[in-house]
Order: sequence, then C-alpha cells, then structure tokens
Amino acid sequence: MFRLLEESGFEEVRSAVVPNFRFRKSSTQHAAEAYGVKAVMMTAMKPASA
Amino acid sequence: MTNAAELQASLEAQLKGEIMRMYQEVGDHPDREFHFYHGREAAEMFGYPQEWLDRAPSGAVASFAGVGNPLERGNLRSGETVLDLGSGAGLDAIIASRQVGPTGKVIGIDMNPAMCLKAKANADAGGTAMECREGRMEQIPLPDASVDVIISNGVINLSFHKRRVVQEMFRVLKPGGRMSITDIVSAKQLSQSIVNDPKLWAS
Repeated sequence: MFRLLEESGFEEVRSAVVPNFRFRKSSTQHAAEAYGVKAVMMTAMKPASA
Repeated sequence: MTNAAELQASLEAQLKGEIMRMYQEVGDHPDREFHFYHGREAAEMFGYPQEWLDRAPSGAVASFAGVGNPLERGNLRSGETVLDLGSGAGLDAIIASRQVGPTGKVIGIDMNPAMCLKAKANADAGGTAMECREGRMEQIPLPDASVDVIISNGVINLSFHKRRVVQEMFRVLKPGGRMSITDIVSAKQLSQSIVNDPKLWAS
C-alpha cells in the first residue's frame, strides 16, 4: 500500500502500526502472524500542484 | 474471456458476496461473535475516546468493524468535505460529521445499499448529517477534486484492485487534500489457497 500510494502521486506518505490490533479467534490470529499480517495507519497528501 | 479472466471474475463475484454477507451480519446481528473484534470493545481497543463513543448512536457503535482509528490523525477541520470509503454502519462518518460541523459535509460510500441505509439511519438517530452513496471504491461515484479528506477503516485490503482504488482516491481528492486510513497489510504474499477462498479473503 505504501508503495502504491507513492506511485500514484501521493506525498508525505507515513505509516504506523496499530498497536492493539488482533483477531478474536486464536486460530485466525496465528495464521495472520504466520503471514506477517498487521493493521497499519497510513496518512498521505495529494500535492497542492496536482 | 480466457479461463484465467473467468476465474478472476468468478472469484471477485464470490468475494463481493462474502464481504456483503459478513458485514451485513455484523450490522444486523452485532450481538454475535465474529473472528474479529467489533463494536465498542474494538473501538475502545483502538483508542476511540469514550466521549466520541458515548455521543454516537448505539447502533453505529455496536456494528463497528474497523481495524484502527483513522480519525486519530485525520485532523478534520470545520467546513471540510470528508469521504468515508466503505462506511459500513457509519460510526467513523458520524464522528467525522461532528468534527467538520454544519458547514462541512461527510459522504459515505458502501457497495452494500443496505449498509448505506443503516448508516444513514444511525446518523439520523444521532442528529448528525451524512450522505451515503452505493458504490465501489474502484470507481468512486464522485467528481474529480471534490473532497478535502478521505478516511477508510479496514476496507481497501478487501479489493483485488488496490492500485485502482488508490488512483481513484487521488482523483477525487482536491489538490492539497489528504487521506488518513487504517487497514490490514501482510508482509508475505498470501498463499493461493487464501487468495482463492473468498471467505478467508473477506476476513
């Protein structure tokens, strides 16, 4: 997503992990961890000149 | 159409159906348990201030199914036009509506017309104004350069066409406009068995 935002013209792309995100079901959480799944917060800006 | 294209189209149709079913269930039966946290428990987990949740209609809070708090860094200002991509039962849109005030405007987009009706009913119950349009995030039903801020919560990851979604977000934002989203990402390529299973993808 980060790369897609930059490639689409967004500037000042920032991301941070949502610290408390997890799945309720432990089986889903374990599968998610195996794939490095996490929730992130992303902010970006469309250039004023665009 | 080639076999690969037919398979892709079939998967997308199944995924759309599964997503609509799952989030409609959260909206209609928030008392049920899902594999993800939802409702007030989830919103509190992601740091939504108690004051926001206390002021929001109970139906919108109970059916909240986000993965974080996109409003935390949204810095919404009075008079701004906000787009909530995948507005669901409307909690984020309703909070945003309070933040932009009567001179601002909040537009929700959801592919499920029933969820749009639910969000609108929740907004009305809370005495806030929001507009909700049925539509797809790959083809946002708004003109170019028409919104100041885009928020979204756990929705973009559900699309097979994320590049298209991001291009559409860029298109509808005004120059100098900004986005603040929370979503799910994976560090590793998901296995084909997950990609080919609409139930898992919708998760």
